[in-house]
Amino acid sequence: MTSSSAAQESVVKDTVRRFILSSVNVVDLKDDDHLFESGLVNSLFAVQLMTFIEKTFAIEVGMDDLDIENFKSLNAAAAFVVRKNGARAG
Amino acid sequence: MQHLLTDPQKAKHAEFKNFVALNVEPFAEAWDREQRIPDHVISKLAAAGYLGPTLPRDYGGQDWDVVTFGLLNEALGRGSSSLTGVLTVQSMVSMALAKWGTEEQKKIWLPPLAKGEMIGAFALTEPGAGSAIHSLATEFTRSSGRNSLVLNGTKRWITCAQRAGVFLVFGKLEQRSVACLVPRDTPGLQIEPIDDLMGFRSAGLAQLVFSDVEVPVANIVGKPGFALSHVAPVGLQYGRISTACSALGLLRGCFEESIAYAAVRKIDERTVGEIGMIRSLIARMGTDLEAGGLLCHKACRTEDDHLPEVFENTLMAKYFTSIAAVKAASDAVQIRGASGVHGSSPVSRFYRDSKIMEIIEGTSQIHEELLGKMFVDRAHRLPK
Repeated sequence: MTSSSAAQESVVKDTVRRFILSSVNVVDLKDDDHLFESGLVNSLFAVQLMTFIEKTFAIEVGMDDLDIENFKSLNAAAAFVVRKNGARAG
Repeated sequence: MQHLLTDPQKAKHAEFKNFVALNVEPFAEAWDREQRIPDHVISKLAAAGYLGPTLPRDYGGQDWDVVTFGLLNEALGRGSSSLTGVLTVQSMVSMALAKWGTEEQKKIWLPPLAKGEMIGAFALTEPGAGSAIHSLATEFTRSSGRNSLVLNGTKRWITCAQRAGVFLVFGKLEQRSVACLVPRDTPGLQIEPIDDLMGFRSAGLAQLVFSDVEVPVANIVGKPGFALSHVAPVGLQYGRISTACSALGLLRGCFEESIAYAAVRKIDERTVGEIGMIRSLIARMGTDLEAGGLLCHKACRTEDDHLPEVFENTLMAKYFTSIAAVKAASDAVQIRGASGVHGSSPVSRFYRDSKIMEIIEGTSQIHEELLGKMFVDRAHRLPK
């Protein structure tokens, strides 16, 4: 990972963390906490989170991106956003 | 609410209302009696571009914003809830497909849906799973040696199923939720019309019975495991916006019919509109109309702006307008007295149709459960 993409991931993580903490009743959220399996968020929140990520980072989540690995944690979501932005820039 | 609209949106709303005044309102009672909307009416909707309003132009749609989509539903809802139901389910299927379909699926299915050459129906509800969509019993299994699935199960209360050319069917595949396109003419699919409903009588509801129906794997929309968490919510979101705005149109109908009647109908020397108790009913109706319009506009705007709060806003709009429509329709009948319960007055149809609005796309009680939890949860995030 380049320092640039690491910095991007850090920004994405903080932004998504703030959104989740403002939306659900969680006091703290660690980078690797599993969002769905742990019950931190429910399935109704899945589309809200996706909509937030699409809007905030100007990406479009499509059929090929439907993989729980892309959204299971803050780390996963950040890596996904950076990867999508990289693919678009490339 | 007019001041919140752009000039193009106002112009489209005027066009929609004109279309409804000419092509819907004079005939809606007859469709209701006959429990059927003639094919030429659907063709007119299609020719006007009203069956693919929010689909991208690349696929033959109008690419209108969601506020304009809401105005279309409001205008149609003033004329006929049943006819609006066609647009509701068309949008649910086509927008879910536009979001989660493969490029090949979009190229095949979206152009005929956008042009209204084909009607889609959203096959989610089952005899044992209405609002509890996680209890689906419809099952897809993999066909041995072939690139296809075998579908078995029953769907009930499917709006427009009597007319639809394709169904977006939700079920389970290997214990994961799945959504799949099933063409009407697929062998093993039996379509049983459901008639004699209280309201929504010409919306063409049916029960679908799937008996060893074979569908290609290529017809899966999205991926297995994401049908209920991602595919259905996109469709339901458009369904709720459509229903909220349709209920708003019905509410406007009740209001317009009531004030027109109250202004001319005389009891002794006074018009009905001069009676305080009638004014109370009309005051509530007019205020609900304005409040519902603002909630619908907010829901549509947040969908246009792609904001995550759109789900909450849409739940509020649908919850409010559907309940307000029931109240308004009941009061509109009351204001008219005996003439309000006769088929010669649209308010008797409004009364029957309004109750359906409280049930489709999630009952009022489901909305209360969801919204109540959202609101109570906010307490934990208030500044200490």
